[in-house]
Amino acid sequence: MKWQKLGQIFEFSNSPFTERFVSHVQSPQALVLADRIRIYFSTRKTDETGKFLSHVQYVDYDFEFKCIIGYSERQVMPLGKIGCFDEHGIFPLSPVRVGSKVYGYTNGISRRTSVDVESGIGFATSDDDGVTFQKFGDGPLLSASLNEPFLVGDAFVREFGGQFHMFYLFGKKWSEATAEHAAERVYKIAHATSNDGITNWHRESKFIIPDKVDENECQALPTVIKIGNRYHMYFCYRHMVGFRNERGKGYRLGYAYSDDLVHWERDDENGGITLSESDWDSEMMCYPNVFACRDNIYLLYNGNHFGKEGFGIARLESEK
Amino acid sequence: MFKWKKLGKVFDPTTVVGKSWLHEYAQAPATLIFDDFVRVYFSCRPPRDENGQFTSRSAYVDLDRKDLFRVLRVADRPILELGKRGCFDEFGTYPVSVIRVANEVWAYYAGWARPASVPFNTAIGFAKSSDNGVTFQKLGDGPILSFSPDEPFILSGPKIRKFNDKYHLFYIAGQKWVMVDGQPEISHKIRVATSDDGLNWTKYGKNLIPNYWGENESQASPDVFYANGKYHMFFCGWQPETFRKTKHRTIGYASSSDLVNWIRDDNKVGISVSKGEVFDNQMLAYPHVFELDGKIYMLYLGNEVGRYGFGLAELEGELR
Repeated sequence: MKWQKLGQIFEFSNSPFTERFVSHVQSPQALVLADRIRIYFSTRKTDETGKFLSHVQYVDYDFEFKCIIGYSERQVMPLGKIGCFDEHGIFPLSPVRVGSKVYGYTNGISRRTSVDVESGIGFATSDDDGVTFQKFGDGPLLSASLNEPFLVGDAFVREFGGQFHMFYLFGKKWSEATAEHAAERVYKIAHATSNDGITNWHRESKFIIPDKVDENECQALPTVIKIGNRYHMYFCYRHMVGFRNERGKGYRLGYAYSDDLVHWERDDENGGITLSESDWDSEMMCYPNVFACRDNIYLLYNGNHFGKEGFGIARLESEK
Repeated sequence: MFKWKKLGKVFDPTTVVGKSWLHEYAQAPATLIFDDFVRVYFSCRPPRDENGQFTSRSAYVDLDRKDLFRVLRVADRPILELGKRGCFDEFGTYPVSVIRVANEVWAYYAGWARPASVPFNTAIGFAKSSDNGVTFQKLGDGPILSFSPDEPFILSGPKIRKFNDKYHLFYIAGQKWVMVDGQPEISHKIRVATSDDGLNWTKYGKNLIPNYWGENESQASPDVFYANGKYHMFFCGWQPETFRKTKHRTIGYASSSDLVNWIRDDNKVGISVSKGEVFDNQMLAYPHVFELDGKIYMLYLGNEVGRYGFGLAELEGELR
């Protein structure tokens, strides 16, 4: 694969969101509409205790990504009620067009006391091209199960061959806290299928992408696109410890391919996109989202500091 | 109206010595009948931890089958380990319900986690015993029955039964956290799920028992017993708005011919708080009905939700 980086196209500090939010535009995910490309992301407010709450917003681009032609001025969807799986944040929202509706799969976040957070996959639908979403109940579509004990999240859903395929992640373990670090989580990518994208998810409850770092590698935000007869997956991966500020341990983009959606060959060397020498994505690349639009294939992603400042985009030059 | 003759307190956990995890409380009794004794599972607590919080454990007491007021032995150790860090059952396993399946004993239990915004969250776990219910091994680190769009939090109070070759799991599902004097109090309702194998469950998805005292009443301990051509459910209920002040819980009753349509008739229950200085002069809670040697008994909790143990009553007449 060969990508041409088009640069950081969206900066929080130069955006209309600075009045209502404090920072971050994380996990950009595209919904291609008739006259625009709508890009969802999660941005942050602080609550009364100073802790962050992630909220979904969007910005609309023309097909050249030259101009912002619209943005969300109101709430796209509310956070959960007290005690619900998504009361402390929705990050990210992953949209997919299904008929006249837009399905939105959310990663809901709630805080815990013995560990930082727990998460679950929520579901919402939109009848207005994704301006607003209505939640499918107060609870999650998928959450912890017998062999997926915690941190179920980051769903990416596409219909392939008449079936809905979900790529998501679930937690493998929470490490014990040490003198050097707090309890850290380890999570990896998994796969589930459903006939309608909503009910009766068949979960294999196993990790599908081999580790590259070590057994504690954390893998997040899978995104899959079919080109020809081959499925290509991008995701981000990092070390369990030191990923926030140690060079070489933070998020980078991983790549895998498959011809049957079941067996995946990890092939980061041929992913075709790596850290820049300098610039906004020189220390970290994370939260990829691949999509097709007008004969081109694009890759949205965040750079340094987990997308605190902005997001950027690359265009596929060659799939060889 | 049924007629229950109270026989007195069977077991007082505060009299047990030498078990740090069994300091007080003997909650949610559930029986497993052996040739010579009746094993009564219950949930108990060590003293509060440094944060003033309890961690519930589960154990059993064996009662002489010929004289249920004669305690033969108390479990040497809890029957279930607490969950690993970040798991749904990290801070408690309470309550437990058991059933014999071939040479094994299967247990369904509620596991306790500690969210940041509310005092607890619970989901239902599963474990098996191959030593007649002395110790149980979990099948996985996660819950077997967990949250879903219309059951956003608090799945608890499992009661496992097998009727008509199908497993029925009666349980409670949280409806909302009600703010009472600035504190969140949970409102939960009785529901049922069914399964062919005891592992893969289909939720019925509706509240089974009509409200009696108000929209927010909490219902718990849905104990179902078949007799004389119909199903009898004894359960307990309270009002989250006033419970902390009144310390009052009471036992309710409903009957059904099909296990999903229930007619509530608390006037038939035939057991209520005692008068005088006895362990059950404030509340009755967590009923469990069982048959032994031609008689029908009810185990139930007294004051402070079984802090000082559970009592036994015997049915005079029949369940009709």
